[in-house]
Amino acid sequence: MQPLLSIRDLSLEFNTFDGTYQAIDRVSLELNPGEALGLVGETGCGKSVLTRAAFGLVPSPPARITSGSVLFQGREILGLSPREQRAMRGRDVALIFQDPMTFINPVFKVGTQLVDAIRAQQLGKVTRKAARDIALNMLDKVQLPNPVRQFESYPHQLSGGMRQRVLIAMALTAEPKLLIADEPTTALDVTIQAQILDLIERLVQDMGISLIMISHDLGVVSQVCSRVAVMYAGQIVEDAPVAQIFDSPAHPYTKGLLAAVPHPFRPEDRLDGIPGSLPNLYNPHTGCRFAERCPLAINRCVEARVAQTFVGPQHMVACTACEGAQIDA
Amino acid sequence: MGQLIFRRLVFMIFMLIGLMAIVFAISNIAPGDPARLAAGPDATNEMVERLRVERGLDKPIIIRFGVYLSNLAVGDLGTSLHTRRAVVDDLARYFPATLELVLFSIAFAVLLGVPLGMAGAAFQNKIPDHSIRFLAVSGVALPMFWLGLMLQWYLSLELDLFPLGGRLGIMTPRPETVTGMLTVDSLLSGNFDTFRESVWHLVLPSLALSLPALASIIRVNRAEMLETLNKDYILNARAQGIGPLRIVTTYALKNAILPTLAMIGLRFGWMLGGTVLVEGVFDYPGVGLYATKAAVSSDFEPIIAVTLVLGASFMLVNLLIDLTYALLDPRVRSQI
Repeated sequence: MQPLLSIRDLSLEFNTFDGTYQAIDRVSLELNPGEALGLVGETGCGKSVLTRAAFGLVPSPPARITSGSVLFQGREILGLSPREQRAMRGRDVALIFQDPMTFINPVFKVGTQLVDAIRAQQLGKVTRKAARDIALNMLDKVQLPNPVRQFESYPHQLSGGMRQRVLIAMALTAEPKLLIADEPTTALDVTIQAQILDLIERLVQDMGISLIMISHDLGVVSQVCSRVAVMYAGQIVEDAPVAQIFDSPAHPYTKGLLAAVPHPFRPEDRLDGIPGSLPNLYNPHTGCRFAERCPLAINRCVEARVAQTFVGPQHMVACTACEGAQIDA
Repeated sequence: MGQLIFRRLVFMIFMLIGLMAIVFAISNIAPGDPARLAAGPDATNEMVERLRVERGLDKPIIIRFGVYLSNLAVGDLGTSLHTRRAVVDDLARYFPATLELVLFSIAFAVLLGVPLGMAGAAFQNKIPDHSIRFLAVSGVALPMFWLGLMLQWYLSLELDLFPLGGRLGIMTPRPETVTGMLTVDSLLSGNFDTFRESVWHLVLPSLALSLPALASIIRVNRAEMLETLNKDYILNARAQGIGPLRIVTTYALKNAILPTLAMIGLRFGWMLGGTVLVEGVFDYPGVGLYATKAAVSSDFEPIIAVTLVLGASFMLVNLLIDLTYALLDPRVRSQI
C-alpha cells in the first residue's frame, strides 16, 4: 500500500539573530491511508513546525528546509509553488489548531469565514449561496447547536467548545484526505475535551480521513490513535503501535514520559520526572539529543547519528542501547 | 448607541468651555493692548479709553469671560478688529474653505496611506517596502511650509502645472454658496469647469498638508499589518487555502485598521492646526489664514472663535472615529 504521507529525512532550521536554530533534525514519518497517528512530545519539540512545514505553512525566511522530502500520495510536495501548495491546503490536507479563541478571526461573522473557506477549498467553483448550504450542513454535522443562528454570530459570542466545532467544520467541509489536529483540545476544559475528541474521532472515521493528532497528552493520543510517534527536541525517538508504546516502551525518553503520568488509583505516589532540561538547539551535536539527560548514555550516542532499530513489528526506536534487540522487521 | 453619542456631545460642551478658558487667559497675558490697536495709531488717549470702556475691556477677566460665554450662547462671537465684520460671518465665510482643504487632505492621506502601509507589510523588507519607507520617513522629516514652498516653486512656477494659490482664478465666477465648499457648490450648480478648477487649486495645498499625515498613517498601518499577519487566525485562514491577496486586504486589514483609525483621528487635528502654515503659504482664504492675520493685529476674538471651531471639529471627528470602531469591531459594538 502506498503511504498517504511520507516524510523522509526532513531537516529544518530557523535563521535568527542569535544564530541558526536547528528545529527539526532528519525526521522520517509515514502515514497510511485511514491511519490515525499520534505525534507526542513536549512543548517546543517541533511537532507543530514539522507538520506545518510539510505543507508550506511556516514562513521562509526565517525557516529553511535544509534536506529531505515530503511525498503526499506519492507526489513530492516540498518544491511546489505557493499557488500549488495553497490548492492542496483545505482540499487535500486540513488543519485544526490548539486555541479556538485565537485561531478564528474576531471581526468577521462565523458564517462569512466558513463561506470564504469553502469557496477557497473548492477553488472558487461554488457560489456563496451553495457554500452557505454546505456550511450549514457541516455545522450540523459537528453538532453545533442552532447552526442557522450561529452562522450569523461573531466569534466572541460563542464559547470555546463551540468555536472549536466551527473550526472543525471549516477544516472538514472539503473532505480532505488528511487532518492534522494540532492539540485541538488543550485549550478546552475537560468535559468539552472529551466531546471534541469524540467528534473528531467519529468524523475522521465516517469520512475516511487519515489523522495526525499532535498532543503532549498521552491519554488523548491513546484514546484516538492506533500508532504513536514520540518526538524529542526535533528528532523522532520512537514510533510504534499504541499498545506497544504503553506496554513496552523502548526509548529511555518514552519510558521517562510514561513514568511521569499519574496513576489514577495511587495518586499519593511520587511521580518520576526526567532530570535536566531541553538541549540548546543552536549548535547541537549530530547524535541523540536526549543523551545529556539519558541514564543509559554512552559516548557513541553523541558522536554519530543513532540508527533506527526495530524491536518489534512496526516498533521503531532510535536508541544506541536498543541496537542489540533488533528483530527482522 | 444614541445614548453614547448624547453623553459624548454633552461632555464635549464642557471640554470646549475649558478650551476657551485657556485661550482666553493666554490672549490676556499676551502683550499688546487690544483697545489701542482697535482705535488705531492716530487715536488720542481719551479715544482709546472710551473704546476700552465701550468694549468692556476695563472689567476683570473673569467677568469678561462670563460675558463672552453668554454672548456665545446666543451665537455672538464678537467683532473682528481687522476685518471689521462679525466673527460669526467671517467664520461662515472662511471655515468651509478650511474644512474642504482638510477633508481633501485627509482623504488623500487615508486613501494612499492605508494601501501603502498594507503593501509595505505584505512585501516586508523587499523593494516595495523600502521605497514606501523612504516616502514615509521623508514625509515625517519635511516641514510642511517648506514642502509647500517647494511644490509652488517647482510644480507651479517652473512647470506651470498647478495654480500658485487661492481657491479659484480671479476671473472665475463663484458658484452660488450652499455649503461654502467650492467643489461641492460647483457640482450642485452643475458647473464642471469651476469644479475642475477648484480641485486644481486644492492639489498643492493638500499635498503639503497631507504628507506628514500620510507618512504616519503608512507607518502605523504597516506596523499593525505586520503584527496582524502573524496572528493565529491568519495561519488558520492560510491553512484553509485562502489566497494571500484576500488575507492581506480583508482578513488582516479589518483587524489592523483599528489602531490606524486612532492615528487618523489624531492626524485630523494636526491638519486643522497645520492649515495656519499651509494657508499662509498658498494664500488660501481659510480660518488658518484668518487666525494668522488676527494674531498679528492682536485681534483676540477671532482667535478664540477659530480655536473653538477647530476644537469642536477635532472632537466631532474623534467621536466619529470611535463610532467607526464600533462599526468595524463587533466586540466594541457589543459593549455600547
